[in-house]
Amino acid sequence: MPNVAKQLQQQPGQGEPVIRVEDLHTWFEIRRMGFFKAGDVRALDGVSFELYQGETISIVGESGCGKSTLAKTILGIHHPTKGKIFFQGKDLSTLDKAGWKNYRASVGYIQQDPYGALPPFMTVKRILEEPMKINGITDKKEQARRIRQVLEEVKLAPIEDFLPKFPHMLSGGQQQRLVIARAMILGPKLLIADEPVSMLDASVRVEILQLLQGLQRRHNLGIIYITHDLSTVRYFSERIFSMYGAKIIEKSSTQALLKEPLHPYTRALFEATSDPDVENLRTFKEVPTGEPPSLMNPPKGCRFHPRCSKKIKGLCDVEIPPEFQVDDEHSVACWLYKDGK
Amino acid sequence: MSKVLLDVRNLKLYFRTRSGPVQAVDNVSFQLEEGKTLAVVGESGCGKTSLTKAILRLLPRNVETYEGEIIFEGEDIMKYNEDKFRKEIRWSKIAMVPQASMNSLNPVLRIEDQLMEPLLLHDRTMTKKKALDRVKEVFNIVGLPTDFLRRYPFELSGGMRQRATIAMALAANPKLVVLDEPSSALDLLTQANLMNVLKRIKQEYKTTFILITHDIGTASELADEIAVMYAGEMVEYSSAEYFYTDAHHPYSRKLMASVPTLREDKELQFIPGQPPSLINPPSGCRYAARCEKRFEKCSEHPCTVELEHGAKVQCWLYDETGEVKHA
Repeated sequence: MPNVAKQLQQQPGQGEPVIRVEDLHTWFEIRRMGFFKAGDVRALDGVSFELYQGETISIVGESGCGKSTLAKTILGIHHPTKGKIFFQGKDLSTLDKAGWKNYRASVGYIQQDPYGALPPFMTVKRILEEPMKINGITDKKEQARRIRQVLEEVKLAPIEDFLPKFPHMLSGGQQQRLVIARAMILGPKLLIADEPVSMLDASVRVEILQLLQGLQRRHNLGIIYITHDLSTVRYFSERIFSMYGAKIIEKSSTQALLKEPLHPYTRALFEATSDPDVENLRTFKEVPTGEPPSLMNPPKGCRFHPRCSKKIKGLCDVEIPPEFQVDDEHSVACWLYKDGK
Repeated sequence: MSKVLLDVRNLKLYFRTRSGPVQAVDNVSFQLEEGKTLAVVGESGCGKTSLTKAILRLLPRNVETYEGEIIFEGEDIMKYNEDKFRKEIRWSKIAMVPQASMNSLNPVLRIEDQLMEPLLLHDRTMTKKKALDRVKEVFNIVGLPTDFLRRYPFELSGGMRQRATIAMALAANPKLVVLDEPSSALDLLTQANLMNVLKRIKQEYKTTFILITHDIGTASELADEIAVMYAGEMVEYSSAEYFYTDAHHPYSRKLMASVPTLREDKELQFIPGQPPSLINPPSGCRYAARCEKRFEKCSEHPCTVELEHGAKVQCWLYDETGEVKHA
């Protein structure tokens, strides 16, 4: 596979970022008896980053770490409790209704479960027409042209055969292509792909990832790729963020992270990933036991400290570690790196 | 060579549907030695789960054909009637952890009651106290604290529930445990912990496992033998040692090439096309339409060839002596 990551070499800091997130918090209120406030689930607790045109960021972490909340907050499905999101320099909280509509048209969303994401009673043609109708593209010729273009791009050919089909008549891979086509039909600047391949078979997975990579190259898209599977990110992204307990705990270029993951949690993820290798049969994995923290009542200090084997008593369980810049490409929120590597 | 525990010969399981019989498992034969783990891999819809159901005789109503021999500890258990099979084989000798079983625990019963149930039902002489002791024992084996036995399923996390269902399968001390995608719904770290537990059980208690999975990476954690299924047929059966370094069937090779790896940078490939319909599969090799190496002979159904180190391949590329003819 031609590694787009290497060809593009997008330098962070070049030009205006497509999306910039500043100290984003999304908390969900829990009410007792529907009236009294019982607390908050801190699903997203202080996340900042920026994404440039033509760049892919992978966000890895286990379920419940806030990756999907991050995606949904950026998409405007959840409203941030605190913090700001800037799209091409514009603060989303200042947008009016028309501005939001415009924003939503420039952000594509690829869901995890393609079958659940497609309305079962609509044909392929209607599924693709729908976003255009909502966004004022009513000219039939223009609609047909765009449908043809996106279906060609996602390689659902011959196009005429697919147009009258319903989602259940397509295979899993084809359904996911259709979801991608729908996300692409309004010509977005940013794609948010939430576990786009986790429901698919291994043989189809690669095809879909290559397809997304091709789209990125052709349209110079920014992509946020959310996954729990570390092994796919190497083929796909320039930067990796690792999330734990509603915070980003490590930010790195893909090369640097795969060479040496720094945060003990990222290391554990790394260790837990099984490559097909017969040596695995003879070795046990060193992985932390226990469960991710409750986000209603997160542990004091570093959120990983109850499971961490390298914790420093009196520091990790007291104070929240700030982000330490280890080198140009790598920063980590862990007290082990307070004096550099 | 140790004792053969399970010997499956020409097993067929067809389902009746309105458009014709679905050949979910077609002429599958393999042997599994005691204490070994067999991982069955393949894409969804290739018949992995149907194979386990056929072995445990957990069949739906629309079965059209169910034949072949399943020789377990030297006896053909296909000849047993349902009553005998239920009493002597199912759960007491062959247990199963079905797919998504962590969500199949009864929400209104305490874990201990659910785990004791199979013990009490299978052995009339078993007292409640003895059953509880055994349940505590297996809870320790899977690494759960025994005071969790008094809890209800919703009080346990997904990984713990999955361990509880594995404990349930182990409770009656079966010879063979069939695990159907035991870890695919779990988080990465939980999954790795579970694999450690299974590996320990395998080493300490010499339990024989059949592991059904679509994840070739995870399969390598536990498997001594690998079986690759494609469109209802077992196209390759090989020891893991050879499989991971040099798979034989063109499909297995492609499958291996499509798995992204974390530690090594390799060129990923995908398999174009789709598996054939199992209602009317092609009469020749079922993989031929997607195969890069197909030639004239592939329009006939390939026989299974045994290669030098015991691997069995169903492919015309290899002739009777195991020589590669058209590679």
